[in-house]
Amino acid sequence: MFDKMTLQVLANHARAAAENMAHTLHRTAHSAFVKETQDFTVMLMDRTGDTFAVPMELGATWYPGLTYGRAIDMVDDYRPGDVAFTNDPYSGHVATHAPDTHLWKPVFADDEIVAWTGGHIHNTDMGGAVPASLSRSLTEIHQEGLRFPPMKLVREGVFDEQIMQIMSTNVRKPALNIGDIKALVGALNTGERKVHAMIERFGKQGFVSGVAALKAQAEAQARAILSEIPDGDYVFADYADEDSDEANPCRLKLTLKIRGDEAILDFTGSDPQLASSLNVPSGGDPRHTILLVGVYYVLYTLNPRILLNTGLTQPFTCIAPEGTVLNPVAPAAVGMRSLTCARLRSVIFGAFVQAVPDRMPAAPAGNNCIVNVMTRDERSQRTVIAAVNPVVGGGGGMPHRDGTNGSGADAAYLKNTPIEITETEVPVEFVKYGLARDTGGAGRWRGGLATEMAFRVFTPDSRITARNRDRSFFRPWGTDGGRAAGLADMVVNPGTPDERRMGSKDTAILQPGDVLEVRSAGGGGRGNPAEREPWRVARDVARGYVSAEAAERDYGVILKDGAVDEAATKAARAAMPAPSEAFFHYGPEREGYEARWTDEAYDRLTEILAGLPIHWRFFTKTEIFRRLDGTGAAAVEAAFEATCARFPELPRPQAFAEAAE
Amino acid sequence: MDGQLPGRDPQGEDWKIGVDIGGTFMDFCALEANSGRIASLKVLTTPDDPGAELRTGLDLLAEREGLDAAAVSRFVHGTTVGINTIIQRKGARLAMFTNAGFEDVIELARLRMPDMYSLFCHRPDPLVPRDMIFGLPMRMRADGRRSDAPEGAVAKAVAQARAAGAEGVIVSLLHAWRDPAQEIAVREEIEALAPDLFVFTSSEVWPVIREYERSSTAILNGYVHPRVAGYLEALEARLTAQGVPARAMLTKSNGGVMTAGEGRRDCVSMLLSGTASGVIGAAWLARQAGEGRLLTLDIGGTSADFALIIDGEVQFGSDELVGEFPLHIPSVSVSSIGIGGGSIASVDEHGVLRVGPESAGSVPGPACYGRGGTRATVTDAMAVCGWLGHSEMAYGQLDMNVDRAREAVGDLAAQLGRGVEETAQAILDIAISEMFVEVEKLSSRAGVDLRDFALMPFGGGGPMLGAFLARELGMPRVVAPRRPGVVSALGGLVADLKGDFIRTVFADLDAARLPVLREHFKALADEGRDWLSAQGHDGAIELRLSGDMRYAGQSYEIEVALEPEWLSDLDRLTDAFHETHRRIYDFHDAEGRIEVVNLRLSAVGAGPKPDLAELARVEAGDSREVQVHIGGWRPVPLYPRAALAAGAVFDGPAIVAQEDTTFAIPAGTSARVDGHLNIHLQFED
Repeated sequence: MFDKMTLQVLANHARAAAENMAHTLHRTAHSAFVKETQDFTVMLMDRTGDTFAVPMELGATWYPGLTYGRAIDMVDDYRPGDVAFTNDPYSGHVATHAPDTHLWKPVFADDEIVAWTGGHIHNTDMGGAVPASLSRSLTEIHQEGLRFPPMKLVREGVFDEQIMQIMSTNVRKPALNIGDIKALVGALNTGERKVHAMIERFGKQGFVSGVAALKAQAEAQARAILSEIPDGDYVFADYADEDSDEANPCRLKLTLKIRGDEAILDFTGSDPQLASSLNVPSGGDPRHTILLVGVYYVLYTLNPRILLNTGLTQPFTCIAPEGTVLNPVAPAAVGMRSLTCARLRSVIFGAFVQAVPDRMPAAPAGNNCIVNVMTRDERSQRTVIAAVNPVVGGGGGMPHRDGTNGSGADAAYLKNTPIEITETEVPVEFVKYGLARDTGGAGRWRGGLATEMAFRVFTPDSRITARNRDRSFFRPWGTDGGRAAGLADMVVNPGTPDERRMGSKDTAILQPGDVLEVRSAGGGGRGNPAEREPWRVARDVARGYVSAEAAERDYGVILKDGAVDEAATKAARAAMPAPSEAFFHYGPEREGYEARWTDEAYDRLTEILAGLPIHWRFFTKTEIFRRLDGTGAAAVEAAFEATCARFPELPRPQAFAEAAE
Repeated sequence: MDGQLPGRDPQGEDWKIGVDIGGTFMDFCALEANSGRIASLKVLTTPDDPGAELRTGLDLLAEREGLDAAAVSRFVHGTTVGINTIIQRKGARLAMFTNAGFEDVIELARLRMPDMYSLFCHRPDPLVPRDMIFGLPMRMRADGRRSDAPEGAVAKAVAQARAAGAEGVIVSLLHAWRDPAQEIAVREEIEALAPDLFVFTSSEVWPVIREYERSSTAILNGYVHPRVAGYLEALEARLTAQGVPARAMLTKSNGGVMTAGEGRRDCVSMLLSGTASGVIGAAWLARQAGEGRLLTLDIGGTSADFALIIDGEVQFGSDELVGEFPLHIPSVSVSSIGIGGGSIASVDEHGVLRVGPESAGSVPGPACYGRGGTRATVTDAMAVCGWLGHSEMAYGQLDMNVDRAREAVGDLAAQLGRGVEETAQAILDIAISEMFVEVEKLSSRAGVDLRDFALMPFGGGGPMLGAFLARELGMPRVVAPRRPGVVSALGGLVADLKGDFIRTVFADLDAARLPVLREHFKALADEGRDWLSAQGHDGAIELRLSGDMRYAGQSYEIEVALEPEWLSDLDRLTDAFHETHRRIYDFHDAEGRIEVVNLRLSAVGAGPKPDLAELARVEAGDSREVQVHIGGWRPVPLYPRAALAAGAVFDGPAIVAQEDTTFAIPAGTSARVDGHLNIHLQFED
C-alpha cells in the first residue's frame, strides 16, 4: 500500500510525465489539428490499460477516463519497443471516429508490462467520401475513411512500412498523418522513459501500488462529491436541432440516479441510432469516457483538486441501449459525433444542476462551430482552404458570476485566429467579430454573450462549411428563474434585400461581395432577472451587452441618460409578472415543440422503436415524424399505425407481436 | 559610455551600482570597477516613502564601503512599480479607439482559457472595459487599401472618452502593422482636440501583426504610464539630490537596460525587469563559474521562478505573463509556480498532504518568523528538519523560532498521525515535486535534457531547496553563487543597453522579396542606432538580426537568427530556417513554402564586463556541528559562508549559512568552492 501522506509526490511525477509527453507531441507534430486546435490527448496507463495521468494544459479534455484494455487485448505478444494502434470506432472502443488515431506502447520492467503510454491525434484526413473525412450526411462508417483495427504499428522500434504505405495511399494528406503519428510515437517514448524514471524513484512495487493509490484517490474524491449530492432521480432531456438531412430533432434523455456515493446515468429514451454521422460509439461500455466527459466537467467544477484519471469513473454506471444514438452498432457513421457530444454534455449538466442547483451554472451555449472557407485567391490563382475561426458562445450564468462571454465552460479549449492573419492569408474581409447584444440569457447572473462573426468573399462559388452548427432552434436553457439564451443563426447578406437565413444548415455557397454572418447561441441565465442589481444592468447597457429595451423588458430596469431611474425601475419591477415556478426556462421554441412531443409521446416512441430491428428504427422514426398529427402518446401511436399501413414490410415491434400471439 | 560621464574621477574610484526592488527588500550590488571589488546590501523597503530606501542604501554603501556618490558612473535600477500597478489594478483610466465592428477583440482575446476543465473558467476583466472602447467607422484592408473615418468621428469619440473620465487613449486599428498612417492621423487629431490626454498607438508600442497581441501590449503600456513616469521622475530627482552624476538606467524585460527617460514612455519594456535581470545576473555568474547550460531557480516567499540558459545564452519568449495578462514583447523566458518558502501545507479530507497554493507571504510569514503566522509552511518544515535556525537571518532582521515551526507542523502531524519530522520531510518532498512538474514542462517545451545542466539557485529560498530539486530532476550539479540574495541587482549592473525593433513583413520567402527585406533591415538598423545614441551610448554597437518565420499553414513562427548579408542569399536564409526548425521541432520540410512574418532587430550597446580576478586558494574555515533530520537526527557540519574560501572542499550533508540565505546540502554530495567563491555541488551516483 502506497503511503497516502506523500501520494501527491507520485501524482506530481505522473502529471509531469504526462505534461512532458504532451509538450513533446505538441512541439514535434506537423498538422494544424494537433499544433493549433490541440485535438490530441496523451496519457499514462496502468498495466490493465486504465488511464492514471493526463496533462492539464495541452490537448483535449475528453479522455482522462479512457481505458485501453479491450484494444490492448486484441493484439498479442507485446515486446519492448512495440507500439500498437487503431482508429476503428468499432474495434476495442478506444477510437470514437476514424480521424482519431490511438496509439499505445507497453512499458516493461523486469520482463513484465507494468504500465502503458498512449494517446491520440486527430488526423487531418483519413480518406473516405469527403475531404477531412467528416460530414453529417454520411450514413455508414465505410464512407468515413480507412480503418485499422488494433494491430502493431511499430515492432521492437521499427515502423511497419506496409501499414504506412496503405495509409499513405488512402488518405489525402499523408505527410501530415505520418508526421503526426511519428510525433506521437516520440511522445510515447518520452512517457516510457519517464515511467522508468518513476520506477527508479519509487521502486517497481512502489510505482505499481502508487498508481493503484492514484486511481483509488480519484475514485474516493468522486465518491465524496457524490455523497454530498442528495439521493434522487434527476431527469433531463435536450435536443440537437437536426438528426440528419431529414432535419428532425435528435433527442438525448438522461435519468441520473444518485444513490449514496454512486450514480447511474440511464440514457434510455434517447433517439435511435441515426442515418447520419451524429452517432456516438460507446460500445455499450458502462464507463466509456465519451459518455462521461460532461461528468468530468461537473466533478472538476465541484472540486478543482480532483485527480483526473480512470478512478473517477468507477462510481458511475451508464446505460445506453444498443442501437441508440449513444450506442450505435456497425456500420453506423460516427464522424460528427462531436455535435452530439456537446448536447450530451448539456444533458448531463441539466441533470446535475437539478441535484446541486447552488453549485452549477446554467447551460453553456453548447455549439462549438468551426468555420472553414474554400475560395480562390485572385492574386495567386490558388485555391485556398482555411479555418476562419471557431464561433462559440458564452458560458451559463454562474452561482456568483455572469457567464463568460464568447466562450467558456465546456468550450474553453478552443482558440481563435487573428483577423489580421486570416485576412492576409485568405481572400476574405471581416465585417465584424465580436459579441452579440442581447444574446446572454437574462438572469440574476446573466448568461455569457454569443459570438458574432461576419465576413465577405470576393470569388464565385466560395464554399463555407460551419461544422457543429446547432442551437438554432433549441435554446441553451436558463435555471432557477434565469431565462434561456439567444439562438444561433447563419445569414447571408444580413440586412440587405438579398438576405438569406440559413436555419440549421452547416454549409453555404457565396458569390462575390456576399457577406456571411455566423452567430453562436449565448449562455443561459441563472436566477430571477428582476433580482439583478440595477447598476449591473446599467453597466451592461453601457457596455453594449444588453439593449435599453431588453433592460426594461427582461430586467425591469429603466435608464435615463444611461443612469438607473430608481423610481421608474421600482415601479417597472413591481409590475413584472412573478417568475414561473419552473426550474428551467427553455424558450418558446422548445416549449412549442414539447407541447406536441410530450414526455409521454417520446416514451411511446422509444417503446415502439426499441421493439424494432435496429436497421428499421431511424426509418420508422422519420416516418412517424412525417405523419404526426396532434399531440401526445396517442398521436404517436396513430402515426405509427399509419406508417405500418404504408409499409406492410415493417416488422411489428416485439411487444405487439407478443400481444398478438 | 562610461568614460564620458561627468563626475567620474579617472584617477580615483569608479562605482557601478545595480539596484533591485523585491517585496520586502531593496537589494544593492555595487562594483568598484578598478579593483573589481563587489559589495552587496539589502535595505527594507519603505512603501510609505518610495525612494527613501535608495538614500538609505547609498548612505550605507558610503559608510561601509567608502562609496563616493560623485564617483558613480552607472546606476541601474529594477523596479516593480509597473507590474504592481497591473496586479493591483491601479493604473490609468484608459479609452481605446479601434475599428467599428471589432470593439470586443480585447475581451475575446484568443478565446482559449486556462483551467479548461472548469465550468466556471473565465478571462480576467480587461484593463479597458467595453464602455471605454470606441469604434471608429474606418478600415485598412490587408493589402493596405484604406477608408478613413468620416469628419467628426474622432471628435465625437474624444468627447465621449473625456466625458467618461479617460486620462489617456490607446489607438489600435486593424493592419496598423502594415502601415501606421491611420493610427497616426487619429492620434494627431486627438492631440489637437485634447492635449491633456496622453495617446499611444499600437504601432508605436510594438508594430507586430495580430490585433489582440498588439492592442493588449499598447494597453499595458498606457495603463502603467502615468505611475511609472511619476516614479521615474522622483527617482531621478532623488539621485540628483544624492549627488549621483550618472543618468539613471532601468532594467528591461528583454534583459537589457535603457535610460529612465526612455522608460517614461516605453513603460511596457520594464514590466518584467526583475525576473529578467535575475536571469541575466545568473548567466553572468555562470560564465564566471564555467557553466554553459544552466537551470536558474529563484525562490521567494510565494513563488519559484525558473529559466534555462543554453550554451551561455538566456532564452527569450514573447508570451510571458504580467499578472493575468500576456506580454507580447520579447522578454527573458521565465516560468513561475506559486510555491515558495511561505507556501502553506494542509491535509485534505482523504488524508493526503498538500502544499500551496495558499501562501503566508511575508506577512504573517512562516510560523518560525514569529510575525503571527501559525500555519505550517515550507520554511517551517526546513526549520523542523534542522536545516534552518542556527544563525542570523536576513541581515539580522529576522528571528528564527524553531519551536513555533514545530508547533505548526505538529498540528498537521497530529491530523496525519505521524511524527513531526516525518511530516516536515513530507512537506518538503511535496513542495519539491510541485516544482518538479513545472521544470519538467519547461525542459520538454525547450526540448532539452536536464541531465546536461547545472542548477543555479538564488533568491532567499533558492539555495534552501535547490539541491533537493536538482536531485529529484536527476541533475548532477548545483552551483550556488556567493551572493544569492542580490543576483537581480547584479544582473542590472552588468546588463547591456538593449532595444528591440520589429517590422512585420508577412510574405513568402522568395528571391523577389529580398530587396524588401533589405529595406526593412536598413530601417531597423537606423532605428536601432538612433535608439542607442538616444540612450547616450557612443561605444561599439552590435545589431542582432532575426526573422520570425514559419512554413505556410503553420500558425506560429519561430525566431531564426540571421546575418544581414544573408538577405541577399535566398539559399542561406532558407537553410537557416530549416535548421532552426529541425533543432526546435525535430523535423523540417525541405519542400515546404516558407513565410517571413517579422524581421526583428536587437540593438545592443555592451554594458560593463568586469573581469574579476580569481582568489587565491585558502584552507576552509571552521565549521560547527548542528543536528539535522535526514531519515533520523544526525550531526551535520554548518559552515559560515564567509569562512568558505576558494578551494575549500567538503562533503554533504552540510549547511552553509550566510546572512541572506541558507544553502542546504544533502547527503551523497561533494562540494568545492571556486575562485569566485561559488560553491559547486556534485551528486555522487
